[in-house]
Parts: sequence; structure tokens; C-alpha cells
Amino acid sequence: MRFNEKEMVSLSRQPSEMAAELGMRGPKKGDVVKRRLVKLVVNFLFYFRIDEEEPIGALLLEQCRVEKEDKQTFSIAFLDEAERKYVFECDSEDQCKEWIDAIIKASYEFMRKNLIFYRTEIHRLTGKDPLEQYGISDEARFQVSNGLQALPRESSSL
Amino acid sequence: MKVHEKLLTHYLSCTSPVDKEGYLNKKKMRTATFQRRWFVLKANLLFYQERPADRHLLGVIVLEGCAVRCLAAEEQFAFSLVFGPGLKTYTFAAENRQAQESWVEALMSASHCYLSLLVKNLEREYEEAKQQHGCRAASSSSSALSLSMNRISLAVPGPSVDVREWRSFSASAVLQAPLASTKAATKKSPKLWSRRNAYVTPLNGPALPYGEWSMQEFSQLHDYYGQEVERVREEWLKSKRVEDDTSEEDLIDLG
Repeated sequence: MRFNEKEMVSLSRQPSEMAAELGMRGPKKGDVVKRRLVKLVVNFLFYFRIDEEEPIGALLLEQCRVEKEDKQTFSIAFLDEAERKYVFECDSEDQCKEWIDAIIKASYEFMRKNLIFYRTEIHRLTGKDPLEQYGISDEARFQVSNGLQALPRESSSL
Repeated sequence: MKVHEKLLTHYLSCTSPVDKEGYLNKKKMRTATFQRRWFVLKANLLFYQERPADRHLLGVIVLEGCAVRCLAAEEQFAFSLVFGPGLKTYTFAAENRQAQESWVEALMSASHCYLSLLVKNLEREYEEAKQQHGCRAASSSSSALSLSMNRISLAVPGPSVDVREWRSFSASAVLQAPLASTKAATKKSPKLWSRRNAYVTPLNGPALPYGEWSMQEFSQLHDYYGQEVERVREEWLKSKRVEDDTSEEDLIDLG
């Protein structure tokens, strides 16, 4: 499968608030913990060997489950394979919580749900569609029917 | 670099919403020929395969850091994704004007960056709307988001932003170059902005990664993309006019 690798490497170099050296263990039996520079950029988690410029890999953070494993450790499970997890060891409990939160919020689907929620609520409170000012009211990706449970609506539907 | 393919193909096939799909001709750069491919746009990812029913995915294009450009006439109804100096440019051709416009618009609003800014701005509008129109409905929404936002908004006085003022800035800035510094002094300094963000995120936690973007930059970004749409429309109108002109010329000249 082809992908725009050079552009992704360039993306991995963008500044990010969430970039730190963590212990990282792969999902396979026998994988050991390795020190990696882990960096969150948009909805990808890039990981680098320490002091290397090009990332080893990129994990798409959609449809995944992020969990606290213990005080300083969190895991990310993909593909509905709860047992196949990537495990990350942090230096403190605070750091661990920060990462979990950041990864959850980095998901595109999470942001889309937020957007739809705010759109609906603003419309409910003000009678106006906040996306109109941007000219994107009709974009399929922002439609209320996308993935949000029905909210009580007083006036005309969006 | 390893991009975990299974995660991408899984995301493609799962129930998350498809933002757009359809056939497009994709230019093969080496040979400058076009190949018809089935494209599926989901979030900030553009997947492509030979046919809709194919299980084999040919590729994916991650749509971050690219500009969407309408192309004049090299190939009819063409547009490009331009990633910048030293990086790729992908060129596509749609089947008709409507498809071209539709794809361009969908791709322009596809990036994670864009969505992130949009959400931040709506978040703020939501806070203001609640303050102004607020307790009318003791929010019957049982969403956790709503509850935690209430908690947070009580804790922070914060500067209130006039949405109207912001909207008029947006309208007046149509002709400005993207992301250039503007004459309008930023009322809210970037520092203030990110501090606000630290308190006003939906769930208790750190600010979103792009906390440094100011609302001015967002308006500019918006208008910059808006220009693309305007350009496409202009071209369409122009081509319509040309058609009208030529058809007039075909009439018998009695003069």
C-alpha cells in the first residue's frame, strides 16, 4: 500500500506539545520495552529512536482504546484486539494522565463529535448555525447525523 | 518509516463516517497519464483503490499540510494537492465541474488542523451563547461534555470575545494573503489565547496541541481557503460566459 511517506515524515517534524521520551513496548509476545521519542502530531503517534530525525513508525489514533495500566503506564489497543496493546511507560502519574488525555482528544472522530455537539447546542441556544459564517454548513463531514446521539432540539433541525 | 497499514485499512472499513467517495482520475507523475481510481475520503485520509468493491487498497494520502488548488486547463476539471517545496503534488481530474467543486471543497475542510481550529472557535461561541442565552434550558442534554464545560466556565472569568466583531473581520479580510500579519491588532495576544484554552477545554486536561493558534490566524486560514472556492466559482462563471459568447458568434451576422 502506498502512502505519502515524505510528507508524513515532514508532518512528524511539526512542533508538538506532546513529545517525550517514554518506554515503549510493542504488542507482540516477546516485545520488550525500548526507550523511544514519542510524539503526537494530529491524529498520529510517531515514535523515533532517540536522537534520530526520521520516525520508525506512525500509529493512526482512530478507533483505538487508551487505558491506564498502572500509575505511570498507559496502553493503546487497536483493531478491537484488546490483548494486542502498545504499552507506554511514563516518568510520572501526571505525565501518564496527560498523555492519555491528549491521545483521546487527538482523534479526528472525537473532534468531529465535539464539533457536532457545539454546532447543535449553539443553534439551540441562538437559533443560528455557527458554520454558516464559514460557508461550510453543507459539508458532509459536519452534518448532525454523523455519529452523534440525538440531542433534544427545540427549533428547526439543522 | 512504517505506517501501520492494518490500522489504516481498519479505519477505512469501519463504521466511521465517509466524508466523500467517488471516481477520480489520478495523474501518474512519471508518465503524466491519468488512471481512474475509486477514492474514499475519511477524516484527514484519502484512500484509493481500483474499484469500490476491491479489498486491495492501493494507497492512502494523509491530508495534512497541503493546499488544494484548482487547475486551469491542463486537464479538464483538474485540481491538485500541493504539499510544498520538496514535497509531492498530487493531481486529479474529476468527471465534471460539479464533482471538481465538490471534491475541492471536501478536501479543503479535511485536515485535522482545520477541524481543530474550528472546534476551538465553536467551543468559545458555545460558552458565550450559554452566558448570553444560557440558563433558558437547564441544559437537558445529559452529555458529559456539557456538564464539565459548566464546571469549567464557572471557574474562569476570561475575556469575552465578540463573535460579531470576529465575523466582520473575517469578511473584510477576504483579499489578504494567507497568514500574513494584518493591520488589525490582535486584541487577544497568543499568550492569552492559549491560557484561555488551558481552562476551557471540554474535559479537564491539557490544552489541545494547537493551542498557539490565535483566532486571527484562523480567520485568515479560512479566508485563504475561501479564496480557492471563489476562484473555482469564478472560473466556472467565466467558462459559462465563454460558452454564451461563442454561441452568440454562431448566429448569422446580419450586420
